[in-house]
Amino acid sequence: MSEKKYWKSFGELNLSESYLKDQDNEFREDLPPSDLDGKGLFDAKTPRRDFLKYLGFSTAAATLAASCEMPVRHIVPYVVKPENMVPGVADFYATTFISGGDAVSVVAKVRDGRPIKLEGNELSPLTQGGTSARVQASILDLYDTARLRYPVQMVNGTFQEVTSFEAFDKLITDSMAGQTGTIVLLTPTISSVTTKQVIADCLSKYQGSRHIQYDADSFSGMLLANEASYGKRAIPSYRFDQAKVIVSLGADFLGTWLSPIEFARQYASGRKIDEKAPGMNRHYQFESMLSLTGSNADERFSHKPSETGAVALALLAAVGGSVTAPNLSEKLKAGINKAAKDLLAHKGNALVVSGSNSVEVQTVVNAINELIGSNGTSITWDATNLTRQGIESDFTSLVADMNQGRIGALLICDVNPVYDHPESKNFIAGLAKVKTTVSFSGRLDETTELCKFVLPSPHFLERWGDAQPKTGTVSMMQPVIAPLFRTRPFEDSLLLWSGNKTSYDDFFKQYWTSKLGGHEGYEKALQDGVVQRVSATEPLGSVSTPYASGNASIVSAAASAISSMKKGGSYELVMYQQVSMGVGAQSNNPWLLELPDPITRATWDNYAMVSPNFIKEQYHIDLSDHNQSDRFESHPEREVIKIKANDHELTIPVVAVPGMPEGVFAVALGYGRQSADPKNTADYIGIAAVGAGKNVFPFATSNGKTTEWMATDVAFEKTAEEYKIAQVQVHGSYEGRTAVIKEMNLSEFVKEPEEILNDRKEELAKYGGIENFDTEGTLYPYYDKPGIHWGMQIDLNSCVGCGACVVACFAENNIAIVGKNEVVRYHDMHWMRIDRYFTGNLADPDSIQTIFQPMLCQHCDNAPCENVCPVSATNHSTEGLNQMAYNRCIGTRYCANNCPFKVRRFNWEDYMGADSFPNNQDEQGVGKLNEAVLMMNDDLTRMVLNPDVTVRSRGVMEKCSFCVQRLQDGKLRAKKESRVLTDGDVKTACQQGCPTQAIQFGNINNTQSAIVKARKDNKHRLYHVLEELHVLPNITYLAKVRNPESEEKV
Amino acid sequence: MSAFKYESQVRPPLVSGDKDYHQITEDIIRPIENRPSRLWWIGFLTAVLLLCFGIFSVTREVIYGTGQWNLNKTVGWGWDITNFVWWVGIGHAGTLISAILLLFRQGWRTGVNRAAEAMTIFAVMCAGQFPIWHMGRVWMAFFVFPYPNTRGSLWPNFNSPLMWDVFAISTYFTVSLLFWYCGLLPDLATVRDRAKLKWRKFFYGMASFGWSGSTKHWQRHEALSLVLAGLSTPLVLSVHTIVSFDFATSVVPGWHTTIFPPYFVAGAVFSGFAMVQSLLIISRKVLHLEDYITLEHIDVMNKIILLTGSIVGVAYLTELFIAWYGQNPFENFAFFQNRANILSPLGWSYYIMMGCNVLSPQIFWFRKFRRNLVLTFFMSVIINIGMWFERFVIIVTSIYREYLPSGWSTYYSPTIWEIGFYLGTFGLFFTCYFLFSKFFPVIAVAEIKHILKKSGEHYKEKMGPEENESVEAFTHEFEHAH
Repeated sequence: MSEKKYWKSFGELNLSESYLKDQDNEFREDLPPSDLDGKGLFDAKTPRRDFLKYLGFSTAAATLAASCEMPVRHIVPYVVKPENMVPGVADFYATTFISGGDAVSVVAKVRDGRPIKLEGNELSPLTQGGTSARVQASILDLYDTARLRYPVQMVNGTFQEVTSFEAFDKLITDSMAGQTGTIVLLTPTISSVTTKQVIADCLSKYQGSRHIQYDADSFSGMLLANEASYGKRAIPSYRFDQAKVIVSLGADFLGTWLSPIEFARQYASGRKIDEKAPGMNRHYQFESMLSLTGSNADERFSHKPSETGAVALALLAAVGGSVTAPNLSEKLKAGINKAAKDLLAHKGNALVVSGSNSVEVQTVVNAINELIGSNGTSITWDATNLTRQGIESDFTSLVADMNQGRIGALLICDVNPVYDHPESKNFIAGLAKVKTTVSFSGRLDETTELCKFVLPSPHFLERWGDAQPKTGTVSMMQPVIAPLFRTRPFEDSLLLWSGNKTSYDDFFKQYWTSKLGGHEGYEKALQDGVVQRVSATEPLGSVSTPYASGNASIVSAAASAISSMKKGGSYELVMYQQVSMGVGAQSNNPWLLELPDPITRATWDNYAMVSPNFIKEQYHIDLSDHNQSDRFESHPEREVIKIKANDHELTIPVVAVPGMPEGVFAVALGYGRQSADPKNTADYIGIAAVGAGKNVFPFATSNGKTTEWMATDVAFEKTAEEYKIAQVQVHGSYEGRTAVIKEMNLSEFVKEPEEILNDRKEELAKYGGIENFDTEGTLYPYYDKPGIHWGMQIDLNSCVGCGACVVACFAENNIAIVGKNEVVRYHDMHWMRIDRYFTGNLADPDSIQTIFQPMLCQHCDNAPCENVCPVSATNHSTEGLNQMAYNRCIGTRYCANNCPFKVRRFNWEDYMGADSFPNNQDEQGVGKLNEAVLMMNDDLTRMVLNPDVTVRSRGVMEKCSFCVQRLQDGKLRAKKESRVLTDGDVKTACQQGCPTQAIQFGNINNTQSAIVKARKDNKHRLYHVLEELHVLPNITYLAKVRNPESEEKV
Repeated sequence: MSAFKYESQVRPPLVSGDKDYHQITEDIIRPIENRPSRLWWIGFLTAVLLLCFGIFSVTREVIYGTGQWNLNKTVGWGWDITNFVWWVGIGHAGTLISAILLLFRQGWRTGVNRAAEAMTIFAVMCAGQFPIWHMGRVWMAFFVFPYPNTRGSLWPNFNSPLMWDVFAISTYFTVSLLFWYCGLLPDLATVRDRAKLKWRKFFYGMASFGWSGSTKHWQRHEALSLVLAGLSTPLVLSVHTIVSFDFATSVVPGWHTTIFPPYFVAGAVFSGFAMVQSLLIISRKVLHLEDYITLEHIDVMNKIILLTGSIVGVAYLTELFIAWYGQNPFENFAFFQNRANILSPLGWSYYIMMGCNVLSPQIFWFRKFRRNLVLTFFMSVIINIGMWFERFVIIVTSIYREYLPSGWSTYYSPTIWEIGFYLGTFGLFFTCYFLFSKFFPVIAVAEIKHILKKSGEHYKEKMGPEENESVEAFTHEFEHAH
């Protein structure tokens, strides 16, 4: 083989010097970067490659530099996992809601150690699982930022922390040492068996000490009247379900009177329509304002507050009582006669109740009930109501004693007479004369801030206890969370201060263990939350037979007292309670403040309800003219008037409400909370309570024995001011739109039961009829809906409009509170609302009929919102749910525009503090948020949030999800137990909370389910709202049936 | 292509004065070469200030949320979408003039097309701001684009009219921009060729893409123009049709109307021409272009305004008739209570709309009024106010009181930031327009030169009246032209 040498250049051939030198370099030619020759990049020979390099580098660098650093948040797992607790799995504990004298059995849902929701306890014989708005909202009170967090004592006009309970006990002992005056314990009505025992034990240690029960909404009149009539100071059980004819004389028994959850359930059970044999009770209401109960009445008659007694007396005369009927207007007389005739016709199946706190009126009502045979039928005495036991004269004499320096120590627990007693001035003066004043209230309310020592009590969810709302029915209370703050139940203090070393917890356990026959019974009672009368040999409370009927002399005395009552002036004032606020015990609760009043649909304030005619006379706006009224209602500004009565005056805005009688102002109690120094209100009472309404307690009239919630001679004057009222609904009429509301009278329904069905048939005949409307009413292909398909049915006849479902929805679904400023701008976030419509003649308050329609996402199977979303953020699930993917939503709001039901809610601002922009809740000017909204974002308040539900950020749309988290939970539970999902595995929050079971929910593909059965059984009343649009809602409504005595009002 | 066309002697000239090609170039290009006038500076700075206010308003809205506007749970769209539709409508005249009138061989378009097209582009830019910034979470706006993503098969919803808007508007914008720029090429080259300053030569050189004026270039230019005109013509009709689908495909009484597509297109042309009038009446004065934008142009455009205004009027009345005839109680309420009832809360807006859009343009039946500059300017503003109210009436008075009376809204009126956003788009529009008038030829120089010898005043006078020519001579001329 020849040694051939291939060369590539002459240099290589000749091995020139330069070639050899280049051999050392890997790259023979200069590398591009070194080619810059000290000139700029763009002058280089090969800038492209470098350019790309620089571009790559700078892009990467810029990306790194610009990318936001996410804050690191650590999730710390349990080092030692508590027994029986699985993170993410909710536990349920039965306990009891307590507020004043009210007690409601509830079940607390606890997630990872924090209670997040209260449900009604279905084992309770009284509520059967029903709740009220206040019960639902009380979970938020647990996390109230204004709660007092440790014991304090007053030193030189300011409160100072007391570092330990021992120190506090010593302070009290020192203060009480050597004093001579009486010790008085002032509480609301206490129905608890153990607490009563503790109090009795304690007071027996101190000579002359006494326990006074004080109810802000006193039932003294009834208690005393019953004592006179029947010989026992007690409130009987009312059986609205037994009554075919119910006459209420101003008693708001569906909303706020005595035991509304129980009564609403009973009342609704008498109004459920069986289509095979239609029938229902008839409800007459005589009242001096439009109450929630009145708005449900079949026949409603309005009168002046001063005529309350006269109406009762006239009714007594009409049912055959030997009294002379007072002079009343012809219309009222006719109404009374009609009611009386009906009552007598249903003797033994009739019931008359009165909301009056006058002994005379209640005596007359007792006489009526005797005459119509309700005693023993619809009024029973085998179990008496124990939630109101306060007698006003006890309190009056206490105030007198205080002012005369006869009281040495006053222990106040959970009552607030400085705020809610009409003559609080005397009490305040007396309080200063008491040496030792101790408050056990959970916050520095108006009364507590005047006390020298404050030892806060825990929230009812943090403590043991019991309540006995009715004799024989005890509701157990157990802590579901360790006390958040340094609080101690007042029973503990009483035990300690009376020298008993047992703690209340042990006392409670011992008492009930022995009472219930051992540990097992005790455990069972705690589990169930309710103890029924355990055995005949050991009654929990006294059981009595009906008392002797009232004797004639008391009645005639009462009658003459009523007849001599002074006539009212041309304007009168009546004070009422709202379902949300009551007497104001929960007035720092934003859920309740933002819960619209069922009648006025207004939030965050109280106001004077007036008749539309008042607006016409005073402001020349004729609300019966639809142009004038439309313009009037579309602006939130309301005229402010100044009311003067009983030596008090008040400026308050007026809200026109159809059904209000002429010359009457109706103002809600429970608002206008304010500390002695208004600057302290936010800290002492709460941020949300600041500026919410006006206090009208001082206007109440006392006749020496009892307080009446009215002022019969009122002067008013107009002012130049206007005030914004935040309503969530401004239009009151349904404009005859029968596609939205269907209602009829019972007689019509009996005569022509298929009217609604036939109308629907006729309307849909061209589009496949009712059966095939979903497939043939459209051009588009039809899809089968196999598996689960969720559906809801709402019975408009059962819904009383109480709003419990609305607050249940707040709690379950982390609904944002937007504050008054935003409600005024129509930005409320309620997923569930109760629409209220009026019909009738505005000029005649008695002709006004009201209807409530719970409105929520209809989960349309052909949803108009779904096809317009550009990014499919709202779409349909295989189970028929119209669902929202919040993190896909870009917020074009097209879906809300296209929703015929207007149930979609947009996060206009960062209400929940959940936005991508930090610190964007501080805007000034447009969109300024109320402090209450920020309070809801406090770390403490946020503990109430349901971890199963996404907290929505600003800029996304939201709406009812049919509680999809509950549906998932139910499905998973069924799956874990390897069984098919059955009816009752899931309940939506609104359904669960409803006291009247107006809402049914279930799988409509399951032929065995209650909802399918209910739909089948109620074909005649069933309808879809706006069915003609072919949006195919999954919610059906059952038409409202009214049962008026005559046809003339139809 | 438009060079040869039968031009009647009866038609008044479209270029006044004794012009030659050089003079045209001088007249139109000189403002670019001179320093801007004081008036220009005042206008420009005012526009920039407005723009800044708009940016501030939008920034507030982005940070704090759409709650900075007075929209509510019932009225989900208000000024935002009203402004959107209004601006899109204004953006119709330009393309109509450049595309449809090109295809119809309307010589008069040459005087106004450049400015009108620029206006179109700026108006569409302004319009585009509203659907973007009205979103609750604007930083997620890219979700509307069908891009491949890692979220499974997650695509936008092609059923949604908003989705269609995205495509319609972006296509329209792209084609309009191309069309406009294509027409600009010869003129930019003219500026380049006259430039004495280095930077001007450089930038206009870049911008004119090496235009040399060769026959080949002209041939391609004409062909491209024709193709783009063909593409744009359906777009003129489709854009506003699709915008109208936002409403027409919904279930809202007052929106759910099949008449919307033609009615929206007519309305858009109506308002677009009104805006062209407003701008050109000022431009011709300020830039001394009275010889090129003559009363003849104004007159012709007023005729179009009269026509489209009347179409819109007929549409309004048809809607009312159908609302009555259709016997749908909800639709009936929307038309006869929400709108036609002047005493209802927002009823006044319906009558502003009717007055401005239907009644006021009727004065243009009279030639004297059509050729009155002051009146035309006033009317053009009135019409645009009216057309704004048309959109407001359609959007707000339909949704504020619809099916469920419980949802009926409180009175809707805008906040300062809502107004600020609208003013801001005026700022954007005029900032762009002022820059355009300074740096680009406001009138298509090349196209004017095309028609000069047919429609120039001087030439018309000299030209023998063609009506009197013998048929042979005319045929001869026709056969030998090109």
